[in-house]
Amino acid sequence: MPVRILVVDDHPIVRHGLRTLLGGRPEWEIIDEAEDGIEAVEKADRLKPDVVVLDVSMPRMDGLEACRRIRKNVPKSEVLIVTQHDSPQMMREALGAGARGYIVKSDAARDLLAALEAVSQHKPFIAQSRGQVGDSE
Amino acid sequence: MKLRILIADDHEVVRRGLCTLLQTREGWEVCGEAKDGREAVEKAKQVRPDVVILDVGMPNLNGLAATRQLIQQNPQQKVIVLTITDSDQVIREALDAGARGFVLKSDAARDLISAVEALQHNRMFFTPRVNDMVLAGFLDRGHNGSNADSPKLPTLTPREREVIQLLAEGKSSKEVASLLNLSTKTAETHRSNIMRKLDIHSIRDLVVYAVKNDIIQVQVSSPATQPTAGSAA
Repeated sequence: MPVRILVVDDHPIVRHGLRTLLGGRPEWEIIDEAEDGIEAVEKADRLKPDVVVLDVSMPRMDGLEACRRIRKNVPKSEVLIVTQHDSPQMMREALGAGARGYIVKSDAARDLLAALEAVSQHKPFIAQSRGQVGDSE
Repeated sequence: MKLRILIADDHEVVRRGLCTLLQTREGWEVCGEAKDGREAVEKAKQVRPDVVILDVGMPNLNGLAATRQLIQQNPQQKVIVLTITDSDQVIREALDAGARGFVLKSDAARDLISAVEALQHNRMFFTPRVNDMVLAGFLDRGHNGSNADSPKLPTLTPREREVIQLLAEGKSSKEVASLLNLSTKTAETHRSNIMRKLDIHSIRDLVVYAVKNDIIQVQVSSPATQPTAGSAA
């Protein structure tokens, strides 16, 4: 069974990039995309993805609120936050909202595959540079 | 002959997106990638691209300063600036630097192909807001006989703009000197000239100036309070 992934970012060019980075693995399937938090919550409810790759700063509803709702509505869907916010405070907020993984966009090319692999197996993943800041469990 | 494009963005995920998008067009190839403005200027020298696509908010040398250097290096160089904001200041700086295309990052998937096509045919490509501003500036000149939209950084030389970015990013005079192949003394002279010209007296004020004038971009630390701000890809 492929890992079914929902990709969420308000910039189409970033969604293109995430698709390209994730596209090399045959066992991963990008089932859909969303461009803000509200659309992400709706699509997660309907499609029940294994992993939601979620940006934080988005219009209408930000990624943290979307993360809370997705985790509440579809507990089996894991959330991997991919954000430009390289801050311990943001990471704690994301993990508090129920995210299983947290990586920074500037390091996404390095961390994305390992993070997705971990999160899809319900294991936490925090990018190395943030590792000293806190645990996800 | 293929149209050769050099792309520069500090985020690899964005570069991958740009590559994927641009390579859907037959006859176009991405001939190089750079992760900051300085690398873009160097690579352009080596690979001589037809078009350079530059993010504005990049470390070490931002996209606007890099545009200036690219045009200085090759006055015919076609440059498209990618930006998260089309603020007056960024538009002015981009036009002044010599960019012929201006695309919002949020609209890149829709507009970038059209922008490259426009430049390929020696036309310009701007967002509607830039078009309005250019037209307003033109009409204003018509009425007043002079350009009322004078840039906000009239007194800084291109070299000083490089130095102010590096200082605002937290680099010491010694580090600035090393990055720009200058002596520490020259870097310190640039630093004191900048502070004198802008009438600022601390690095803190220099950082504030750099942020206000889009020389560097800062991320918003908590989207919980400002959920939509600073969404740099």
